[in-house]
Amino acid sequence: MDNFDFVLNFTLPPGFDSPDAFVDALFEAGCDDATVGVGLHGMIGLDFTRSAASAEDALRSAVRDVLRAIPGAILVQAGPDLVGLTDMAEIFGFSRQNMRKYAVGGKAAFPQPTYLGETSLWHLAEIVAWMRENTSVRPRDDIFEVSKAAAKINFETEQRRVGRILALA
Amino acid sequence: MAIRPRHPNKEIEAAVEYATRCGWRRAKATGHAWGRLLCPWNDKECRCGTFCQISIWSTPKNPENHARQIVRLIDGCARLTEVRAEKPGEYNG
Repeated sequence: MDNFDFVLNFTLPPGFDSPDAFVDALFEAGCDDATVGVGLHGMIGLDFTRSAASAEDALRSAVRDVLRAIPGAILVQAGPDLVGLTDMAEIFGFSRQNMRKYAVGGKAAFPQPTYLGETSLWHLAEIVAWMRENTSVRPRDDIFEVSKAAAKINFETEQRRVGRILALA
Repeated sequence: MAIRPRHPNKEIEAAVEYATRCGWRRAKATGHAWGRLLCPWNDKECRCGTFCQISIWSTPKNPENHARQIVRLIDGCARLTEVRAEKPGEYNG
């Protein structure tokens, strides 16, 4: 069993307005290994440290626990997956400027972002693999594993979302 | 300012104390929650606002991990990062 750190974000169904009403249910359902963020009405974020046989088991069991506590909650995003340069710098313990050097000025081609914009976004798993290949930085294995599992779960979430998009009139 | 109750676990108490030094306030809660910590900036553009308020357990599964999560969530505040860059030496916890 290994420990995996990750964050899940959910939208809440109607009727879950007061944190006092659902925070206890989360505890009872086994989310006592997460810190619950309740700063926004209609949403929650959970910062987990979960012990499991694999990163995917950790993430999927956590999603199940939340849905058991709050039936009708909808998973919006799992992380760490999509990251900007600032997030990467924080994860690897660099300054943002240093991280930028890798991204724009390095000898080896940096992975392509998955979103190109004012703030571009990358899949963390690709960055971890690239760092291992091209630098002396050795990101922790559990970060690599959890970033792959989060990408997989986010893909499934997006697939459902795109289904809804295509059904829009 | 009212004196807040101490958390019975020493690692979590240290994390809550760190939160206090970074400007966070404690609010009451019920049940399994010992309380809630409220970010002084409450910026809804930071992590969509979800972590501007975090619920603290009385008896989490692993107190050390809960303490680490609390510190990580405070340090992850976009506004705190800005303020620390602008005013070195302040809000360092």
